Amino acid sequence: MRIELGPVTRIEGHLNVKTTISGHRVEDAQCIGEMFRGFEVILRGRDPLDAQQITQRICGVCPYAHAIASSYAQENAYGLTPPPNGRILQNLVQGANHLYDYLLHFYQLSALDFVDVTAILGYKGNDADLVTLRDWVKNELASGKAFPAAPFLPRLEGRYLADAEINIGALKHYLEALRIQQKANQASAIFGGKFPHSTAIFPGGCSQRPALDLVTAYQSLIQEVREFIQQKYLPDLLAVAKAFPDYWHIGQSKGGFMSFGVLPTSPEPGSPRLFAPGVLMDGQVAAVDFAKITEDVRYSRYDSPSGLKVREGELSPAPEKDGAYSWVKAPRYGGAMVEVGPAARVLVDYRQGANQELSRLVDHLTGLAGVTPRELNSVLGRHLSRAICASVIADFLLTESERIDPSAPAALELEIPATGEGFGATEASRGALLHYLRLKNHVIEKYECVVPTTWNCSPRDDQGHPGAMESALIGTQVADPAVQIESVRIVHSFDPCLACAVH
Amino acid sequence: MMDRRQFVKIAASLSAAFGLSGLPEPVTAALRRIDPRTVPTLLYLQGQSCSGCSISLLQAQHPAPLTLITKYSRLAFHADLSASSGGQAMALIERYCRGEAGDYLLALEGAIPERMPQACKIGDVTLASLLESAARTMTAAVAIGACACDGGIPGAEGNQTGAVGLPEFLAKRQVDKPVVRIRGCSVHPDWVWQTVVNLVEIGMPELTEAGSPQRFFSRTVHETCPRYHDFQQEIFAAKLGDRGCLFNLGCLGPLTMADCSSRWWNGGTTWCINDNAPCVGCASPIFAKRKDLPFYRMKKKA
Repeated sequence: MRIELGPVTRIEGHLNVKTTISGHRVEDAQCIGEMFRGFEVILRGRDPLDAQQITQRICGVCPYAHAIASSYAQENAYGLTPPPNGRILQNLVQGANHLYDYLLHFYQLSALDFVDVTAILGYKGNDADLVTLRDWVKNELASGKAFPAAPFLPRLEGRYLADAEINIGALKHYLEALRIQQKANQASAIFGGKFPHSTAIFPGGCSQRPALDLVTAYQSLIQEVREFIQQKYLPDLLAVAKAFPDYWHIGQSKGGFMSFGVLPTSPEPGSPRLFAPGVLMDGQVAAVDFAKITEDVRYSRYDSPSGLKVREGELSPAPEKDGAYSWVKAPRYGGAMVEVGPAARVLVDYRQGANQELSRLVDHLTGLAGVTPRELNSVLGRHLSRAICASVIADFLLTESERIDPSAPAALELEIPATGEGFGATEASRGALLHYLRLKNHVIEKYECVVPTTWNCSPRDDQGHPGAMESALIGTQVADPAVQIESVRIVHSFDPCLACAVH
Repeated sequence: MMDRRQFVKIAASLSAAFGLSGLPEPVTAALRRIDPRTVPTLLYLQGQSCSGCSISLLQAQHPAPLTLITKYSRLAFHADLSASSGGQAMALIERYCRGEAGDYLLALEGAIPERMPQACKIGDVTLASLLESAARTMTAAVAIGACACDGGIPGAEGNQTGAVGLPEFLAKRQVDKPVVRIRGCSVHPDWVWQTVVNLVEIGMPELTEAGSPQRFFSRTVHETCPRYHDFQQEIFAAKLGDRGCLFNLGCLGPLTMADCSSRWWNGGTTWCINDNAPCVGCASPIFAKRKDLPFYRMKKKA
């Protein structure tokens, strides 16, 4: 039996998933990116400084990650080392962006998979927001109009949280999280110029001044976000984990893990990062080598050559190509499939023992849940890894912001060379992000992006091996094959961004 | 003497502008009496987009996003927020587009790949065919952001999909329905939400020649810029991080109609010029379109 799960909602962009079901088991899954724009071709012939603006528009959910990756790639190509303030401000902007993204993902994008929104109808308390929501849902349901209480209903049939108190608490936090994500974004806008789509991040630093009043405003906002993470996000997540323990064993991807590391602790290229980079395969972590990354297109809608390295990337769309089923390419590391994202970021660092606070949190929280770090490769593991990242990053931002020297500059005077090439790698909230650019005659000759969801939502490679999310879906037991709330929960745990994946 | 209906209309637009909390009690009381069945249903679809406009809409402060989707509009579908998914969601979208689920306003974020319709599908259906149905059944449309208005970056010079905005898509099909264009990459949440409230409570807002609400888009960033004085005194930023007029670094404020200088972004936190970042012209119909009109003017090594 073939069942389509698309259009998949509460993700970014246009994703379809075609499953083949036998009995109650997912025998096969194809992840299909359904939207193409062609950024790498649009960038050709443009001024290289346009790139950190244009590439942000690949994704309006994590634009700052693209601004950072593009700035790093340009710093690499121009031979720039930013002043210490410049790197710190870039970190403050990017880190705050991670915090907003984790909260948005858990509450707005994922919570309705687990939380019973109809529990609001039985609410008897007097919290003003919840009373408003309850009365609105009641009126909607009584109105007789088509699709009442949208966008919260209709929803997929399945088992939701049964405990009324936890449901009500989570719904309250769903509403609070809308406010808190705004505060994280206000913090990043202080030095980024606005959110989404920063205008103040540049190769070599940041155009905003590192003024003391801005730093204190930033810290105050991050402190509020940090409190929400500690007092609400982590407990809510553990409550969901307790109610759905089977999801520690559902949705394992069947390959390695890769992280490029994020938040450099000093301006020099190659300096240590808050989360250490690496490729984790068969229990061993190795250093990342960009030359081992290739992109297959046998099952992707392009007729450009398959298996090209990043420096050689090409883009020739062929929407009707025989056998192709997705606009997403199939990136591989040394020919192997890897998962990227929060679980990869945490596992790659944890296996190296690089960040002690991270290791402590992994041991403590997996211990509380009664699982081992190995179970971070699962639906709940990805959610928990995000919360661990949020906790570590929030603390880091408060200390990092203390390092600012308000009397020193945060930007460099830019002078663009005629030729050059550079790589820029960072972690978007969704995982490993790589930009590459090459200049000729002061304009972009080639620009390539290998983006987190390109890895995670990859179709089959040329050898027929599935991508990370496909591998996590295949073999899943589903209660109702037509609905597959289990599969949807697996997909959501990756937080796919299809605009990023195809770009 | 205004009648009650007019009073409520004005109060509603006032509240949208300033938030309920700052209004006198009789006004808020009148607002609570608005029949919720009169609020418009929004069918929010995404084309070749980055979701940046949706994320920006979630940054609305007064009123907050939840108030906006429960009180001032009905959000029948939004890919980022709807609990509904898969076939259930597709059925909902198609029922609206066929005109079987009641009156609605179409909100479109993102461009439409005119030369390569397969480059954007919702479920298994091309966006173009959904929009062709919606064009017959919608009351009006709001084009949200640079891509939906003018093609944006997907429609930039050298693109492979022939991306266009909704007005051009509809014009080619001889569809004559009102389309309000809210430009910006991304949009400012106030620009969209206040327009929606205006559409419901008062009707079509006064539009500029470029089809955007006059209220937000009638003067250039340059002429309302707090650094206009620097420009007149010829106090120019020479390099990144300098204060002063940013014209010599490439600022596109003189070409861009938007009220960012008085509205600011992210709940009034800041805006580009306040961060010494040149305006990139994201609210201009030609935003990012031309390779020979770069965002910045920096030094070049020989």
